[in-house]
Amino acid sequence: MFATSTQRKCWTFGDESALSTLREKHNLNFISHHGAQVDDYQRYNYFLSPEEERLLLRQYELHLKDFCKRFSPPMPKCVIGTAFHYFKRFYLYNSTMDYHPKEILATCVYLSCKVEEFNVSIGQFVANIKGDREKASDIILNNELLLMQQLNYNLTIHNPFRPVEGFLIDIKTRCSLANPERLRTGIDEFLEKVFLTDACLLYAPSQIALAAVLHAASKEQENLDSYVTDTLFHDAGPDKLAILIEAVRKIRSLVKLVESPARERVRAVEKKLDKCRNQENNPDSEIYKKRVREALDEDDMPRTEPMRMSLDTSGVSQVLSPSAS
Amino acid sequence: MDRDINNYSVAGRIGEGAHGLVFKARHLPTGREVALKKILIKNLDDGIPVSVMREIKALQLLKCKYVVKLYDMFPRGSSLVLVLEYMCSSLWEVLHQRPAELTAPRAKAYAGMLLKGTRYMHAHYVMHRDLKPANLLINYAGILKIADLGLARLYWPDGGRPYSHQVATRWYRAPELLYGARYYNEKVDMWAVGCIIAEMLTKQPLFPGESDIEQLAIVLRHLGTPTEETWPNHCELPDYHKITFPPSEATPWSELLPGVDTDAVNLIKSLIMYNTDKRISAKEALKHQWFTMRPLPAVLEDMPKPANTNKPAIINLPV
Repeated sequence: MFATSTQRKCWTFGDESALSTLREKHNLNFISHHGAQVDDYQRYNYFLSPEEERLLLRQYELHLKDFCKRFSPPMPKCVIGTAFHYFKRFYLYNSTMDYHPKEILATCVYLSCKVEEFNVSIGQFVANIKGDREKASDIILNNELLLMQQLNYNLTIHNPFRPVEGFLIDIKTRCSLANPERLRTGIDEFLEKVFLTDACLLYAPSQIALAAVLHAASKEQENLDSYVTDTLFHDAGPDKLAILIEAVRKIRSLVKLVESPARERVRAVEKKLDKCRNQENNPDSEIYKKRVREALDEDDMPRTEPMRMSLDTSGVSQVLSPSAS
Repeated sequence: MDRDINNYSVAGRIGEGAHGLVFKARHLPTGREVALKKILIKNLDDGIPVSVMREIKALQLLKCKYVVKLYDMFPRGSSLVLVLEYMCSSLWEVLHQRPAELTAPRAKAYAGMLLKGTRYMHAHYVMHRDLKPANLLINYAGILKIADLGLARLYWPDGGRPYSHQVATRWYRAPELLYGARYYNEKVDMWAVGCIIAEMLTKQPLFPGESDIEQLAIVLRHLGTPTEETWPNHCELPDYHKITFPPSEATPWSELLPGVDTDAVNLIKSLIMYNTDKRISAKEALKHQWFTMRPLPAVLEDMPKPANTNKPAIINLPV
């Protein structure tokens, strides 16, 4: 249920300014933490500005989409949707200068595969990545816990795909529209674009789904307005209808504004990032390698009470019935 | 948030799971006793196991008095630590160590709690897939709760996706799973519930097979060779033609469940059914007249209160 979910409670925001406030805050946090020696005038010559971070992330969202679409074996839509949610959520509370988007991108998709029960091994997964695959799998596995933590362990995602199915069934039964299946192409195109916007951080999955359905209908020169007002919202009252109409309008205008960032701008930002990124989180740096080694050593549980129980397993009763695996 | 091991005082190890150890601990800010399930990730090829992911997702969704609670989680080194409700005993322990405590009214009360937890899970489209006495934990107050949701997964009522058939501990595994079904539903849990209720009443496992083949043989011998009528389409299950068993008549239930009263037999019979459409749901089972007939289910005050064990832990936490 979306209504009672953490997605609604913790990850759906009132408006776009709430999102940019969070992003700016984490941009500034990084700079004040790492930029003590850089004077204010030079600051954005060296560090990325919030706008530059946005540009970079928009580019990486395109990479995310392409990576998922080319993935072999073919990936269900919900895996892609969930990966997008994770990626966007992560960078609400982290700066790209702290964690490079190319590394977080792969980790988001990998975690999403698991959560959505699209079972691929890490070997199969990194076979889809160009370059050093062993290194890629180390980076992904090292980032997995970090990502879960940054998502506040809110792993379950409500995507718009199921509401779309619901609307199509409903339209078939309660609306006179001929052959609703022809809306699918338009819906899929719309949803693909919607994930390149902030819509999923601002609106409910059912609102996004309805925006997609209405968009597809208008592309087919059909009008579903009376279905929405008279059938869907028949008993809901005018306030709710007004909220929905505004949401649909906003989602459609966000989608209309999607455009690819200019290539040369992205290249310049990436160059800057190579210099200003946090080396502690750069897998190629010595300091990173040392930290990973230390984490491995930290695996014991501290014991704060006198030991009463033996550490070997003989005290643990064995289950007599045969196990599942 | 208090998401750090330093907020816990670890008392000792109480169990061992597939992916790591389970510790008893106290959450210092609240004084609450908890079980810390530590999942070692460094030796795992694929990172955090899918089973752990499933357990987290299921427990986050399920908020029920009869399902173990997940309070929190945090990373520790390269491990992930789940903070779970501490449960001091299990139905397995009751059956094996204190069977005399398990009187008919108490068995009925445990059955009710198990069914309420199951009804709740199924209402949220979660099937557990590994219900067994060792996964039914009991707290100090005597309340039974469903635990170890490592095999639990969400399902869709339309049943469009295949699932693994290698689930459920053998004795409690539904016959469709034994025949390798990939399309099945939450009724696999209801078969297990039937086995568990029978076991509480007779103090014997209902179908104790030593191997998967023997498991199937025992079930078929007792329920009789399935027919198209008792089990529609069973011939189409993936492993059906791989093995044949001698034809057999059904064993009378009075023989299978000696000394068990008629109402209880009726309930178990409607759970231990080949045909999953006829196998009753948790919701239906709770309405069964067994629960309203004497002896009535024991009230919580009369349920055994497992001791606060200071002895070396013999606690079946999610293992």
